[in-house]
Amino acid sequence: MSSVLDRITTFPAPFFRRMQISDLSEADLAAVSQEMKLGLSEEDMVAVQKIYADWGREPTDVELEVIAQTWSEHCKHRIFGATIEHTVDGQSETIDSLFKTYIRDVTFRIMEQKPDFVLSCFHDNAGFIKLDDEQAICLKAETHNHPSAIEPYAGANTGLGGVIRDILGAGKASKPVASLDVFCFGPPDTDQAEIKGSDVIHPLGIMRGVVRGVRDYGNRMGIPTVCGAIQFDPTYIYNPLVYCGTAGTIPIKDIDKEVTAGLKVISIGGRTGRDGLKGATFSSAALGEASHEEDQSAVQIGNPIEEKKAADCILAGRDRGIIEFVTDCGAGGYSSACGEMLEEVGGTIDLDTIQVKEEGMVSWELFISESQERMVLAVKEEHLAEWQELADTYQTELTVLGDADGSGVLKVVHHGETVCELNCNDLHGAPTRHMTATWSKKTSDHAGEISLSGSQGDTLKKVLSDFAITSRAPIIREYDHEVQGNTVQKPLAGAQGDAPNDASVMRIDGSDQLMSMSLSVLPEWGKTDPYAMGTACVDECYRQLVGSGANPERIAILDNFCMGNPDAHEELGALVETVKGIAAAAECYGAPFVSGKDSFYNYFETPDGPVSIPVTILISGMGVVEKKEHVTPAQLRHSDSIICALGATTADMGGSVLARIEGQTDHSVPATDLEGNLARYRALYQAITEGLIQSVHDVSEGGLAVALAEMAFSGKGGLDIDLDSLPVTGEPSATAILYSEAPGRLLLEIRPADLAAVTAIFADQPFAQIGTATASHADLSIEWGKQSIVTEPISELKDLWKTGLARYY
Amino acid sequence: MENRPRALLLKYPGTNCDAETARALEAVGFATEVLPIAHLTTEALDGVSAVVLSGGFSYGDYVMSGRFASLVTQAKIGDALRDFRDQGGYLLGICNGFQILTQLGLLPAGSLVHNTSGRFQCRWVTLENKAKDASPFLSQLPDTFEIPIAHAEGRFVTTEESEAQTYLDNGIAALTYTTDVNGSFGQIAGLRDETGRVLGLMPHPERFIYREDHYDPDWSGEEGEKWGSGYYLFAGMYAAVTA
Repeated sequence: MSSVLDRITTFPAPFFRRMQISDLSEADLAAVSQEMKLGLSEEDMVAVQKIYADWGREPTDVELEVIAQTWSEHCKHRIFGATIEHTVDGQSETIDSLFKTYIRDVTFRIMEQKPDFVLSCFHDNAGFIKLDDEQAICLKAETHNHPSAIEPYAGANTGLGGVIRDILGAGKASKPVASLDVFCFGPPDTDQAEIKGSDVIHPLGIMRGVVRGVRDYGNRMGIPTVCGAIQFDPTYIYNPLVYCGTAGTIPIKDIDKEVTAGLKVISIGGRTGRDGLKGATFSSAALGEASHEEDQSAVQIGNPIEEKKAADCILAGRDRGIIEFVTDCGAGGYSSACGEMLEEVGGTIDLDTIQVKEEGMVSWELFISESQERMVLAVKEEHLAEWQELADTYQTELTVLGDADGSGVLKVVHHGETVCELNCNDLHGAPTRHMTATWSKKTSDHAGEISLSGSQGDTLKKVLSDFAITSRAPIIREYDHEVQGNTVQKPLAGAQGDAPNDASVMRIDGSDQLMSMSLSVLPEWGKTDPYAMGTACVDECYRQLVGSGANPERIAILDNFCMGNPDAHEELGALVETVKGIAAAAECYGAPFVSGKDSFYNYFETPDGPVSIPVTILISGMGVVEKKEHVTPAQLRHSDSIICALGATTADMGGSVLARIEGQTDHSVPATDLEGNLARYRALYQAITEGLIQSVHDVSEGGLAVALAEMAFSGKGGLDIDLDSLPVTGEPSATAILYSEAPGRLLLEIRPADLAAVTAIFADQPFAQIGTATASHADLSIEWGKQSIVTEPISELKDLWKTGLARYY
Repeated sequence: MENRPRALLLKYPGTNCDAETARALEAVGFATEVLPIAHLTTEALDGVSAVVLSGGFSYGDYVMSGRFASLVTQAKIGDALRDFRDQGGYLLGICNGFQILTQLGLLPAGSLVHNTSGRFQCRWVTLENKAKDASPFLSQLPDTFEIPIAHAEGRFVTTEESEAQTYLDNGIAALTYTTDVNGSFGQIAGLRDETGRVLGLMPHPERFIYREDHYDPDWSGEEGEKWGSGYYLFAGMYAAVTA
């Protein structure tokens, strides 16, 4: 077998090699990338060749690996930085970087309008917003899709472990206080025979493995998993999505960090092994049948107790003020962590000092291994003894890897040889990608009416027991969502502790202000109208946060994208439209993007061709609840309350759960009235802070009928609802009124004595009383057009809702 | 000069409820020290009124829960905790702490094994107070009250089921669940020892110190209650220590 690698290796040391690439053809350069699994394109390799020509020398394998990590999509986000020629229905435009245009600049403009709110964004592991004069909060979400596809438990386990480390490495170490998880799976009842491709794990196997992976990491770390969502769709059978997010707190004085010459670089936590080699490049390519066998080494092995010990040690060090800089070892391992840390100042890392899990690792393996539970810090030499004492106290390992020296060069030595010597500033020249995107607006030929196969009552039961709606309690209860003792508003609440909340609210130790967390993910919308999906996701997340009591002026959001093949023009077009949607909503609402991440190549090569996921955006957010009295639940609290609707219902059924159940997916997706909604949410916040609102439930997936039922699942009373007074736009039918998922709507529970005051606050809004709670029966009773259209015992509805997923889980 | 009674909270690698448990101890009046187990010596118990073992996953609990922690404790300080109790000290074990105290033999014979559901369960439960008079920890709590559980290995079993019945009959089973939440014999949720100065329980009182932490925002509680139910368990221990 003739290998280009053998041909060009000029220094076959047992642990590293020099490689002669200066005279290679473009095809051979591409072959080098292929054989080393660098994941670099031919164009990239040519750029590398040129960089070395400028330096007048040849690379080592370690250097090529470092460059591959640095330039990988996972680390560099080159698609979000690409120049994109985007065409919608024949109209073309050139976008110079989606990130700069729609994410960064939107955020910068909001930051100008709201000084002293965002304290840090885009350059650290997570973005920070101000909680009070002393403390800041941060949130970060990541995906671990490919590892979870081939090894669900370990993939999800380390997905959460990784994002927790992001928080530990944010600022001079933040304390992780809450986690969220969002999954997109194939339907649990998928027929195995329908799955094309051997070794593909059935969605049930994926779901069980993923949930247990998240459970075991979060529970053992003692971080409550308080928010989440699951989407089920056949497009996720081959490439499930696993988003994990963690929020943290930090004293404001500890946010800024800097590496200076003379500092020692230390590693705290786990040892380094061959597990997790090339995760960054693996995650930046498509899955195929061979992935299940070949890429096993790309999945790391998690050990939460190792991370817990490291976290305890590092947070103790932070409180003593002996951290100068800290970051986590994530994708790219030490190469990324040390590279980031020494980017400006330069320094030397000695691979001989690394504590290993196994002997015989070669230089590049040691430097890029993504073994878990490792944190890298820069500390003053005079603090080394104190660090060692802390490491001994918390029984974790500490290694001095090297030092920062002011040379501007990242130098790596191994067995006395210099195996890597790179000026990181010269590596920023990754070629800008030029890409093509197209999108054609889908026109609906449907009149907007969904034909039902049963009565409204039967339909409601069908929707409540659908996988999209049914209670996530079996999963939520496997997560310790109350550890740390600060989960004031829990994912499940109400008189029986099992009705859903829209957002979770965390008390923050040492502050009177609280943090609300919520999220939105609506992939079904994006199949028809990705722009509308983008605006609706921001709207839903923001609405839920305000509804839980967060100040609408103090909300920050995260954008986490997943998509299939970015080289497919229509798929990239959907991404561009989504980005524009979230940007428009974020800018209108003044909700900055403080952190985000993207994951590409979420498609699978089946024998019948590639199956891509739909463009999927997760918007997660954190908001500041200024007083504990403002915390507002989403369940009915009293049997003598008035129920009001805020926001107008439209006839658009696109993207709705009912449309999908009935197999009528060509309806138009509702647009989001951003300006109108914002005024509504500000008024709502006023009503909440004046103590006029008992509970708020947002109307989202499943529509008004599901929202009413969920509210009543608290067990506090029955509901008598008359929808004739419901604020509407156009003339929606009974079905649309009950099941449309038009954004911008909420149900409010109000004490009779407060109705006049609340009505005055919403004078300029689509707002109306639509019914009352009652102690006289325990039914959900809905009238429309002077006729009863739904009368169902709430207990029966709740049973269906509670058991829909439990059967499979 | 610190004149509050001292509580010592032992922190093993994987202990993760130490911060909120320490907060609860401080709230009722203890001066609390969280002691990483690496620093545990017999002398560390000097001048301490209460030793508390909080929830978590000590050493990951990869072998039987609490097993490894009990071996480490014994290796470090031998029977010092037993002597501490015999000299009038109080010992409280919550969740993983209950598992560790059981493994150490500081509580009557029994084991905490996997829930019959095979699942980790995080939910609120109603407890029956069976030892209001016999356990100082429970003296300030009503006959029934709610606090949350969060465990995978909380099923209390004895070699013969009749032993568990004996514990129920003689009031050693200080706390029981009002429903079958994990398959525990006799629905036992917590045990005291003969002296009454040792209590182990699976549920988490430290998670219900503040009223607003109840899952129902309209929880009324006992008439005039200022705090969540969990507070009163710690307050009972404080009252006993300071009596």
